Amino acid sequence: MKGDDTHRLSMSVNGRRVVIEVEPRTTLADALREQCGLTGTKVGCEQGSCGACTVMHDGQQIRSCLMFAVQAQDAEVWTIEGLSNPPAGQQASELPLPKLPDLASALKRNHGLQCGFCTPGMLIAGAALGHAASGRLDDAEIREGLSGNICRCTGYQGIVQSIAETFRAESTDSEAPS
Amino acid sequence: MTGDHDESKRVLRAEDDGLLDGTHRFIDDLEPRGTLHLAMVRSPVAHARVLSIDTAAAGAMPGVHAVLTGRDIAQHASPTPIGWNHIAGQRQTQSLAMATDKVRYVGHIVAAVVAATRAAAEDAVEAVEIEYDLLPAVMDLDAARRDDAPLLHESWPDNVLAVDQHSSGEGRAALASASTIVDLELTIGRAFGCPLETRGVIADWGLAGPGMGNRSGSVGRLVVDLNSQSPNRVREVLAQVLGVSVSDILVRVPAIGGGFGAKANYYGEEIITSIASKVCGRPVKYIEDRYESFVATSHAREAHLSVSIGAESDGTVVAFRNDVVGTLGGEVSSVGMGPVWVSTRAGIGSYQVPNADITTTGVMTNRTPFGSFRGWGSPIANFGIERAIDALANQLSVDPVELRLKNMVRPDQMPFPNGLGWRLDSGDYPEALRRARSSVTDAGWFDEVDGARADGRFVGVGFANFVEATGVGNSRKMGALPMEQGGFDEAVVRMDSTGTVQVFTGQTAMGQGIETTLAQVCALELGATLDDVRVLFGDTDSCPYTGYGTGGCRTAPVAGSSVTLASRDLRAQVLDVASSLLGVPVADLTISDSTVFAGTPFESAGEHVTFADIGMAAYRKLNRLPEHHSPTLHARAVWDPVDRTIGYGSVAVMVEVCADTGITTVLRYHAVDDCGYVVNPAIVDGQIMGAFAQVLGSSLMEELRYDDDGNPLTTTFRDYLVPLAGDVPPMTIEHMESLPPDVPSGSKGVGEAGTISAMSAIAQAVEHALPGGYGWIRSIPLNPETLLSRINASRPQLPVSS
Repeated sequence: MKGDDTHRLSMSVNGRRVVIEVEPRTTLADALREQCGLTGTKVGCEQGSCGACTVMHDGQQIRSCLMFAVQAQDAEVWTIEGLSNPPAGQQASELPLPKLPDLASALKRNHGLQCGFCTPGMLIAGAALGHAASGRLDDAEIREGLSGNICRCTGYQGIVQSIAETFRAESTDSEAPS
Repeated sequence: MTGDHDESKRVLRAEDDGLLDGTHRFIDDLEPRGTLHLAMVRSPVAHARVLSIDTAAAGAMPGVHAVLTGRDIAQHASPTPIGWNHIAGQRQTQSLAMATDKVRYVGHIVAAVVAATRAAAEDAVEAVEIEYDLLPAVMDLDAARRDDAPLLHESWPDNVLAVDQHSSGEGRAALASASTIVDLELTIGRAFGCPLETRGVIADWGLAGPGMGNRSGSVGRLVVDLNSQSPNRVREVLAQVLGVSVSDILVRVPAIGGGFGAKANYYGEEIITSIASKVCGRPVKYIEDRYESFVATSHAREAHLSVSIGAESDGTVVAFRNDVVGTLGGEVSSVGMGPVWVSTRAGIGSYQVPNADITTTGVMTNRTPFGSFRGWGSPIANFGIERAIDALANQLSVDPVELRLKNMVRPDQMPFPNGLGWRLDSGDYPEALRRARSSVTDAGWFDEVDGARADGRFVGVGFANFVEATGVGNSRKMGALPMEQGGFDEAVVRMDSTGTVQVFTGQTAMGQGIETTLAQVCALELGATLDDVRVLFGDTDSCPYTGYGTGGCRTAPVAGSSVTLASRDLRAQVLDVASSLLGVPVADLTISDSTVFAGTPFESAGEHVTFADIGMAAYRKLNRLPEHHSPTLHARAVWDPVDRTIGYGSVAVMVEVCADTGITTVLRYHAVDDCGYVVNPAIVDGQIMGAFAQVLGSSLMEELRYDDDGNPLTTTFRDYLVPLAGDVPPMTIEHMESLPPDVPSGSKGVGEAGTISAMSAIAQAVEHALPGGYGWIRSIPLNPETLLSRINASRPQLPVSS
């Protein structure tokens, strides 16, 4: 369990190949924050309860505090930094959560963040929720869908409203004649 | 007094972009080169003597630089002072930042390991061997006060920190003359701020460096990065404890992931980490983990209240008494028993009660220390008076809202001394309650209740009032209390040579939006375009001094006022320079959008100078500057509050109690709030909604519990349940806007308002939903089993055969 031996880990992070040496016990969250310098991923509980460390892993939202870094071997990982600002040569539409920047704008418009510590995880969870639902979410479904992410500041109202606006607009668009 | 409909004030926050894309730096995102990591060794037992500590094995482990014990800390630090050490006869502690001979709660720090990595430090924590001689845990308030109770602090005669009593009129003696008296025993559970970001500190006590002065051979400057709401208080306490001058300490505050009072207190961790840096000669970082946050960050709220209310037969309240006993922890936190004591001032809330008598007692138990949590002691006081009025309404068979309206302080009585030392300064308290009732009636709440009841559901609506003393000051009164802490706030406002304005404040940002709010305050007073104003904070070298820090709802009323006054001064300087540049008397100038016009903006085509022109004259083209004006544009103001300013309001909640489980869900929330001038409606509403959500938690879901031996039972988010999105209802808020007298910003504080009456309103709503009248709920958080048994008892007995 102690970290005398290390493993070489190769993965893709925000569209770039990363090779780092990690202890077997190092979590993906710590590897991203401490070895990749991507501190936008926050660590709130290290128990998988708060959702602040949510990242995208091979197209799925996961708690990066509950995954060992070595489990991400060869995986494609996206953090808030990459999802917010597409890497050079890539369009937002090619990323796993293309509407995340729109959701970020909505959160700002609707005062859906205060201290901002939960926000990266909330954005990824909210965008993943909206993405998966493809525009059919009602407020109760949004609230249920966010049950893995704690916000201690806002009371959630601006967050729920922002997800509704961002992803219901999509459903309206898709119903419009094209 | 009007509602606020100025949507132009609803500007987007300056804070948000860097929070949304993850680039803002919180404490754990910082790490200077060469940083060592500290992990705490915490007591696993609630009450014991420390017989021995063997650090040899831990110290020999790879990567370990130092293992510090209380004995080591004692060589570098004196006992930690108590900030709220103000009650006559308050017992004194001589506790260090780390335990020495005795531990008094699970989580009490016994040793600290400094190592190359956090993981190596935690490995070595496991190897520190400590021998404890267990003592009986003192957990129960009654047991703690028995003559034979084990003493937590053995130099004291008992386990009571202090008792304070305050009365008005004839005090509790007046109860005897009341025609109706109702007595209640109430309990409030233990809760805490529980910010999502835990506490953390990086200390770098360098051996030499700039700013040290001519002091050879001394230890160098201490630089502390800390997620504290009160950097100046921490700086002063560190200086006092470590025996250095205040100027030789720099405290910097990065982005803070929520404070809620938990980070307003100062703690031993920053002292220990500073000493570790001195010992190791390297920057040292400590980040509290989630378990530690539950056992080491200040707890709050837990209290027992013995309440009596007396009234005439028409419902006029004539007397009230409340004996509040706070369940303190094993050590005294930086705020002493202040949150318990404040009931002596806040105890009668929004009401005129001619005879009141409040005692507050702080009892030490083997729990985590008791400190600040948003609302401080106001929710405790509120629960006492609001529950008493509900019970009285039940006794008199009158509507609890009407009984409130009958007894609330009226607008024609303002300013109203409440008899307990608070001046209720402004506003129309009954109107807030009437509006809350009419707004939710108009919104169909009662129709919804009727419909739900027709379906056999248990749904009800509850109301409660609150007052909140905001903008803590005045500094001289605080000094006389006695406290060694002022309540004033200093602001510096500068304009540079391009006309851009910087506001420097000693307040701290922690999510409440001061970067935006204080910029709006400055822009309005100065006539600047909002985009031209920047707010700087979080650095005790470059930012001015604020005595109390960011707590007690001080930013809008106190910092808002100092920024207003400094901006007013700068405005006069700007007009003076513009008058010279335009050759027009100051009296004929107007300012709009960072431009000074001769006459009004409409009648003065061409005759204007921009702030950039003025800045250029004051810094670079000095031949344009009037002879009498010294170069630069720089204003400083200190605002010391004349008194607290009292925010108030009324809230309504709709709840449903599940007939199968007894679990209460809040379905709707509506608040009528008066915080004076609303700087930014979105931010103000966000404060009220977030505060309500937190106390929804401590009313229904959150409770810090212990077993009889003092073992904490709630140390994860799976047993301390903070509200999730599905637990919080849709919320609506309307504003009244009564401007407080003698507050230059015109604002009262609002950050804590949403916490104060939430428990009371939820309790009344549950009683409305269930049979049995009002006033029978006596403890918070609500117990689903109790509610379920009440539901079951009310059901008609089913026939034996059908």
